Amino acid sequence: MLNHEEILKSLADSVISGDEEKAKDFAKKALEAGIDPLTAINEGLMKGMSQVGDDFSKLKIYLPEVMMAAEAMKAALSILEPAALQKGSGAIKKSKVVIGTITGDIHDIGKNIVAMLLRANGFEVYDLGRDVPVDDLIRKAEDVGADIIAASTLLSTSMPYMEDLINLLKERRLRDKYIVMVGGGPVTREWAASIGADGYGDDGEEAVKVAKELLQRVKGK
Amino acid sequence: MNSIWEVIDRAETGPYMEEKDFDLKVVAKKCRELVKEYDIKFDPKEIVTADESMADDVYEAGMRLAIEAGIYCINTKRIIKFDESEIKEGILSAPKELVIGQGRDSRILYARGVEDPRRAIICGGQAGAAIPEDWYLPMSISYMKEPLVDMINNGGLAVVEGRKVRTNTPLEIQAARRELTMLREAAARAGRPGISFIAGESSVSALGDLAIASDKYMRTSDAHLVALLNELKTDYDRISKVVNFTEYGAFNVTLVDPIIGGYAGGPEGVAVCFVASFLLGRAMYRSEYHVCHPIHFRYMSTSAVECMWNLNIVGQAMARNAPFIIMGDVWTSAGAGSEMIFYEIAANTITNVVTGSHPLGVSATNGKYPHASGLETRFMAEVAIATVKSKLNRKNANDLVVGLANEYKDKMGKPDIGKPFPELYDVNKVIPKPEWNALYLLMKRKISEMTGLDI
Repeated sequence: MLNHEEILKSLADSVISGDEEKAKDFAKKALEAGIDPLTAINEGLMKGMSQVGDDFSKLKIYLPEVMMAAEAMKAALSILEPAALQKGSGAIKKSKVVIGTITGDIHDIGKNIVAMLLRANGFEVYDLGRDVPVDDLIRKAEDVGADIIAASTLLSTSMPYMEDLINLLKERRLRDKYIVMVGGGPVTREWAASIGADGYGDDGEEAVKVAKELLQRVKGK
Repeated sequence: MNSIWEVIDRAETGPYMEEKDFDLKVVAKKCRELVKEYDIKFDPKEIVTADESMADDVYEAGMRLAIEAGIYCINTKRIIKFDESEIKEGILSAPKELVIGQGRDSRILYARGVEDPRRAIICGGQAGAAIPEDWYLPMSISYMKEPLVDMINNGGLAVVEGRKVRTNTPLEIQAARRELTMLREAAARAGRPGISFIAGESSVSALGDLAIASDKYMRTSDAHLVALLNELKTDYDRISKVVNFTEYGAFNVTLVDPIIGGYAGGPEGVAVCFVASFLLGRAMYRSEYHVCHPIHFRYMSTSAVECMWNLNIVGQAMARNAPFIIMGDVWTSAGAGSEMIFYEIAANTITNVVTGSHPLGVSATNGKYPHASGLETRFMAEVAIATVKSKLNRKNANDLVVGLANEYKDKMGKPDIGKPFPELYDVNKVIPKPEWNALYLLMKRKISEMTGLDI
């Protein structure tokens, strides 16, 4: 019989190795051993994902490994989250991000990297894919009660659609409801500020850091 | 060989697959397996390698990936497959030399070899950047008036008549035509009326591309870029561009820009993916030449150590086994007006010229800011010429490139982005301002002394 520490370590390892079956297995074992589901999430899964994020930033692993890790985490969460809810835990609330490559652009690897790193850092991410119309981003944010709307592009000719996003939020009197973050190849910090975006990241790591800071500053989360 | 019609047929009838499965179960999985099987290893101390057997392994692995994976069509979710004989036919029929441009401005663009003793063709411009309409003309002249620049690939226009150009909108047509009108005007004013362009950068969709297939804008001695999407993908917009230029008779150029850290994995997997992309690009787009542009997941720049290693190993793999005409991008983190940019240009250019590609740049600040000018492209040309003149072999080139990279690699996260074009040049006379010229002369001397090259 494994002790609590060993189970939590195995949960973290299953995420690091991207092993969905192992992740589910140890999620069940954690509950059977009487580990609080929130502890299993925070001390097991999140620790593993944090390691994955660190390894990716050092290019020790690459996007496919990060995606597999996220899948493993999702599999374990499908067991641990309902258990946490059943226990009446209110602390499971995660900040929500709606993300997409904006209208006219089909380049999505940069956006995928940011989405994965956000997931790795505990965000609930709704990835709408690429060539996403501005109003689709807003509609989804409204539907899921998002905290952040994040838009990416590799094309300078799709950057104006980010400005449209801000303007449409203002027109619909929703601007104050959401943190808006932008990024991608041609997007600069100065330009992001000039259109009134709340945040910008030079890369995935910075995007996560900025998202966390903004949540604390703007939403007190 | 397959024609573009068969490519369209296969986009409609090839094997169906979900895109995520193609990314993970085909590209990521096969790249990882092939890198392991061929024991391909990136060594940051050997940015320019003399290990020919590794170059051949990268080629062989790339050929296998090309045959096994094929190209994914995003619109139809089907895979466009090519068999070995079709890919080999693409190699055999690939031009080894092309005449680009017209009249006295024409040049012979050729497939460079490893340690090739011939002068490299210099392609100048801040490719990929969004350049303000007001400066586009003088900035283009600044490249074209450089006698060492043989051809042009400048950026596009993001604003026309004060209006922001949006993807897939009518303004893309106007932006692409305005870009070409200004490039033609710049060529005339610089006294290079026949200089060859890689152009049409203002329109990402096929709209602008369709609008410039006319002698008034693009000549058949010019070229446009057609990207392979990351990784090993295409779509109808790209194929439309190919159809347009194939029938028009101008050159198709495959832009290959896999991401280090992305689906193909690390530097080694990306090298394998590069070779497959070139081979498939030729089979599918029938491209006459190709652009090699490794992207670093964090810095973007081709001057990053991992990217230069890719330019080196892919250049050699192709030159030794499938001699295509390849332009190697020179994209720097730093901007014109900084000291750092000169180190990045020197390292990137030496790598390209010694290992089988012609330098294309300088896309300063990775095209994020229009902080660029003809002067740093002159420096790129001078480094390229000095590299050949000194008969630099791969081992000596590596010593120089590693030393140059040490000067900037730790600053890539926070580079000096330099200054915008009007602060670097007198825009009326189109000559560098004294401070920018003085910095160029200083850095040229410093790097000459450091490398022993007669720049």
